[in-house]
Parts: sequence; C-alpha cells; structure tokens
Amino acid sequence: MTWLDTVALAARNVARRPGRALLTVISVALAAALFSAILTIADTARTRVLDQLAKGGPLAGIEVAAAEADPGQVDSDNAQPGAPRDLDDAALAAMAALPDVRSVVPIETARVLAIPPFPLVLADGRTVTLERDEGRGRRAPNATFETFVGTDLDRAVDLPITVLAGRLPAPGSQVEVAVTPTWLANFGLGRADADAVVGLELELGAPRAFGDRVRSRWTRATVVGVVAQQAAPGGLVGTREMVHPDRLWTAAGLPDERFSLGTTPYSGAFVVARELDAVGRVRNQITGIGYSTRAPENLIATVQRYLHVVEIVLTGIGVISLVIAGLGVTNTLLAAVRERRREIGVLKAIGARDVDVLRLLLLEAGVLGVLGGVLGSALGIGVAAVVAVVVNSYLESQSLTPVHPQLSLSIAVIGVLGSGVLSLVAGAIPALRAARLPAREAVDA
Amino acid sequence: MRVRGLRHRYQAPGGVLTVLDGIDLDVPAGGYLAVTGRSGAGKSTLLAIVGGLEKPQEGTVEVGDIDLTRANRNDLAHFRGSTVGFVFQHFGLLDQLTAAENVELAGSLAGLGGRRRRARARDLLGAVGLAHRADHRPTQLSGGERQRVAIARAMTNEPRLLLADEPTGNLDGESAAAVVALLEDVHRDRGCTLVVVTHDRTLAARAHRHLDLSPGRDPEPGSAPGAAPAPAPVPDHRYAPDRGRPA
Repeated sequence: MTWLDTVALAARNVARRPGRALLTVISVALAAALFSAILTIADTARTRVLDQLAKGGPLAGIEVAAAEADPGQVDSDNAQPGAPRDLDDAALAAMAALPDVRSVVPIETARVLAIPPFPLVLADGRTVTLERDEGRGRRAPNATFETFVGTDLDRAVDLPITVLAGRLPAPGSQVEVAVTPTWLANFGLGRADADAVVGLELELGAPRAFGDRVRSRWTRATVVGVVAQQAAPGGLVGTREMVHPDRLWTAAGLPDERFSLGTTPYSGAFVVARELDAVGRVRNQITGIGYSTRAPENLIATVQRYLHVVEIVLTGIGVISLVIAGLGVTNTLLAAVRERRREIGVLKAIGARDVDVLRLLLLEAGVLGVLGGVLGSALGIGVAAVVAVVVNSYLESQSLTPVHPQLSLSIAVIGVLGSGVLSLVAGAIPALRAARLPAREAVDA
Repeated sequence: MRVRGLRHRYQAPGGVLTVLDGIDLDVPAGGYLAVTGRSGAGKSTLLAIVGGLEKPQEGTVEVGDIDLTRANRNDLAHFRGSTVGFVFQHFGLLDQLTAAENVELAGSLAGLGGRRRRARARDLLGAVGLAHRADHRPTQLSGGERQRVAIARAMTNEPRLLLADEPTGNLDGESAAAVVALLEDVHRDRGCTLVVVTHDRTLAARAHRHLDLSPGRDPEPGSAPGAAPAPAPVPDHRYAPDRGRPA
C-alpha cells in the first residue's frame, strides 16, 4: 500500500467520526495555541528584553555624575561619587565617542521653588497641605524647594523613566512638567494618588542670590504626569529647554549654598551601552575619562535569573498542555482501535501487513496532529497579537516603545510539526496495538 | 489444500477447549468444499487457519506450495493478499469507502497502481451486477449487494482460494440464493478452490465435498470430490463474466 493511499485512507477514517475527530483536533489545537502563544510571547519578550539589556536601553544605561570617579566604582551598583568635577560638552563628546556607547543623554538640573495652588485641591476633591511646617504662614504656604531635572524627552526611551500617571512633558515644551513621588511625599501622597495631581498648575521660581536678597525667575507649568525616574534625583522633571534658563539664571547670581549648582554645565548624563556585556567596559572607560558612574549590573543579573525562571515555568506550562493533548490523541486512537478490531482484522484478511496497519494508525494520529497544529498555531499567533495589543496600550501609556509580536514562520512551522510529532508519539501505542491485533479478528468479531 | 493432523485449542474459562482435533483434509485445486458443524465446532477456526489468519498450533497446512505452519506474519499477510479471497458473514466492508473504493482497497494493499486497480474494480463490480452502485457507500446498499461487493473485493487479486464464512448468514432467501450462485459462478469460471462455512445444509449439499465438524461425524458419504453440485435457482444478478473480466 503506497503512502499516498494510506494517507487518503487515514483521512477518510478520521472524517468518519467527525465529532470525536473535532474534539481531538481542538485539544491538540489548544495545546498548540498555548505553545505557539508562549513561544511568540517569549520570543517577543526576549527580543524586547534583549533590546533593552543586550542592545542598549535604560537597563544597559550608566548614570554619570558631575563628580570625580571612585576607583572601585566598577564593582559596585551604587558607587559613591568623589569630589565635584565639571561635566561639559567635551566630556560628553568623549563618552559618545567610546566604541561601546550607543547614546549619551545629558541631564541638567536647577533648584526651583515649586508653588501649587493654595489650598491644594486634588482632582478627586481632596484638599491636602504640606506635611512639614516649613513655609507655613508665608505668602505661599504650599511652596517646596525642588530639584528640577531637565533632559531630552524626545529620547525618553533611553532613560530610566516610568510614567505612573498622565504622560511625559512634550519634547521641547516650556509649559509642562512631571512630578515625582518625591514631590508627592511633601503632601503625604503616594503613587496611588498620582492621577489626582495630573492637571495641577505650578508656579516655578528659579532663585538668584543678590547678597542677602533673592530674586526669582517665575514661570508657570502644568503637571501633565507623575513619573518614577532614576536619571537624576529630583521632584520635578521637564525638558532641558525649560530647565536650562532657570539654571543659567541661578548660576548668574552670587554664590549661595542653599541653591548652589557649582560650575558644571551638566549635572549628569545617562550613557547607554550597546550591549549588556559592554556596561562594565564602558564604566571602566568613563572612569578613565574621570567621572563617577553607577549602573545596575548586579540588579540586571538578578533580573535575568528571574526571567530564566519565568521561561522555565512557561515552558513547563506548555509541555504540560502538550502532554494533555497527547493523552487525548492516545485516548481517541485507543478507542478507535477498540471499535475497529474487526475492520483491522478485515484489512489484514485482504492483505494488509502489520506495518500497513501501523502506518495507517500513525497517519491518522498525524492527520489529527497536523490539523490541530495548523489551527492551534494560527490561534496562538492570534492570541499573541492580542496580548501584544494589550501590552502596547500599557507601554504607550508609559511613553515606551511598543512591542511588535515576533510572528515568525518558524514558530508556525514548529507548532504544526510539533503537533504532528506529538500526535505520532501519542499514537504509537494504539498503532502498535492495532498492528499486533490478530488477523483472526476478521472472523471472530 | 492439504491438511494433516490439525489440532487447535483455546484457553477457555472452564479449561482448555479443543475445537479441532486431528483434522486431515485434501481439497484439490478448483475443488468446492462445504464445512458445517454446530456452533463452536471449529468451522471458522479451520477457515481462519487455511486462510492464513491464524497459525495452526499442531499439524500441517499446505496451500499450493506454501506451508502455512512455517510462514511468519509477513509471509501470511502476503499469502492472504495474493492467494486467498475472503467473504465474511458480516461483509467486512469499510463504511467510510464507496463500493468501488472497497474493491480497490484489496488492489491497493497488493500494490496495484491506481489506474489499474480502478479499472479492475469497475470490471469486477460490473461482473457482479453492481456497476451502477459503484459510488454508493455500504450503508446505502442492501445486504445482498454488500455481499456481492465483498465477493468482488475478494476476487480483486485473482485468488486461487476463495473462503466464505457463512456468506448467506445475514441475507434473506432470495439474496442468499443470488450470493451462492455468484460464488459458484466465480468458482467455476475462474477455477479457484472454494471453501464455504455454513449452517445451511442445502448449501452444503451443493459442494463437491462436505466436511461436518460436529463431534462424532465423518464427512458425509456421497460428497466425494468432483461431485456435481445440485441445480440452483437463477438469481436476478448472476455473475456475468462476459460483462467484464478482471484485467
């Protein structure tokens, strides 16, 4: 009996019990869908994480401070900076020229007086006041003195910034700011209250010392979001276009230790390495240039270990689902063999060899598996695409680059072939049992 | 067909059950043997053994130049596919295939090419008067028609030995007569050896030789090899070799 004839007969046999075949195909399809979805999501997530870790990104980033390097800093995630040292354009250019550096994002900071409305009524109707007594009784009882962090927000994807509520200020904006949990804490608020402060108006005053007098440069800004960020410590985040004039204004005054900025043009920089393995090398090179650095290398290694555990768990779930589907195929074929003892006997009576029967049953299993695999792979990739839409809506709310599900042909092929092989393995025992049935069944049944 | 000292036993709940005990049998090529006996007498077992469905436990069975005692499973499969044609009481047709496909299946297992076996199936169905039912499934055919399809399938590989196990057991009188006539026509026109297991003594009486397996009974006298069969009623659908012989 040729393979083609056997395949045709196997297909007819499968189609004879459409309900049972459909249930078996669905069980294989669900397993294949889960497996394909896991593979697609894992592949997408791995690509995303590797983009972040191995090809550059916030986690492969290095904070550079305007300070002298600590010689032992490369071995520490949180090295203590040395004496202040000016960080200027020449230093940033030297860092950008390092072969393993993907980008250098300069950070400027200014000290500003931030004054929200008084009384401070939140969007949810609550009225809050400063937790500490400082400033009470003055003309602006809600005023706090904050570090205003300015950076290139059009490169926010390279920065360790997470949007907790609202959004980031628009690139180049001079009227929008984001506040951090540090500022919220002044009013006894936490991250859960983040939504309630979006939309507040702030008056920002950059001070300049004139001996015993202080004059401020006043601007108004709208709080468009609440962010957690590790680019530089501070209560407010905005664009460099907004912070730079404040910084220049303060720096032009007489020295005053309350809001001294030093002489450095930039208070820091965020350097992104091309790959995770290069972080240590780049830190060494920046140390050679003479600046203090910090990088979460040990943290990343820990995260990688957790990721690996997650991958193992996901793989385990996939394997369990495949085993369950395989048992379904085995059960279906065992039932088929039980029901078809006479038919198998007749096949043998008219000349079928054991190997013909074995091949027929295996192909029946293969037909179920391939059908389930095709259906399941399509379903799994669809599920992954839906998951990607959900994930993207979150990432976009965080002003982060969306993910693109890795809809690779190889995953579809693995899904189909894997299901086929799974079904062949699952069908082996019933097929062997059928092949060993005595031909005598033809006259006994 | 030559059988010597054939013994066969089954393990039954009450102990060992001997169903064939020292059977000696000779059927010449082209002979016609009817096997009768009570239920459990070993008729189907004898048929299964001489048809290569089961190996004899004791004794020798030779069909032509093939010693079934020494054949392995593959040899037996080849023997069944090339030398033997089976007709069962339950017809043994695959419900998922059409009548023509059922007939083709035997050719497919024997390695015949698609075009050749389709032509042969068409010819054989025509010969048994079912050309117009070639595309019908077994469930769409009457019992008599199903048995004629089964006979056509049995003839696909031009067997030298045609074995029929209660071929009329599930048929009404008219259909049974038609099927018997068809088997006898095939036997006569193609010269193959015909062995029929039956409870029907009238049918048994038509055979050249009659083997009764009931305990204490010898083959009936007067049923020597070569005895002429009794005349049979002419059915509506006779085997008609002039309507198309197998290729």
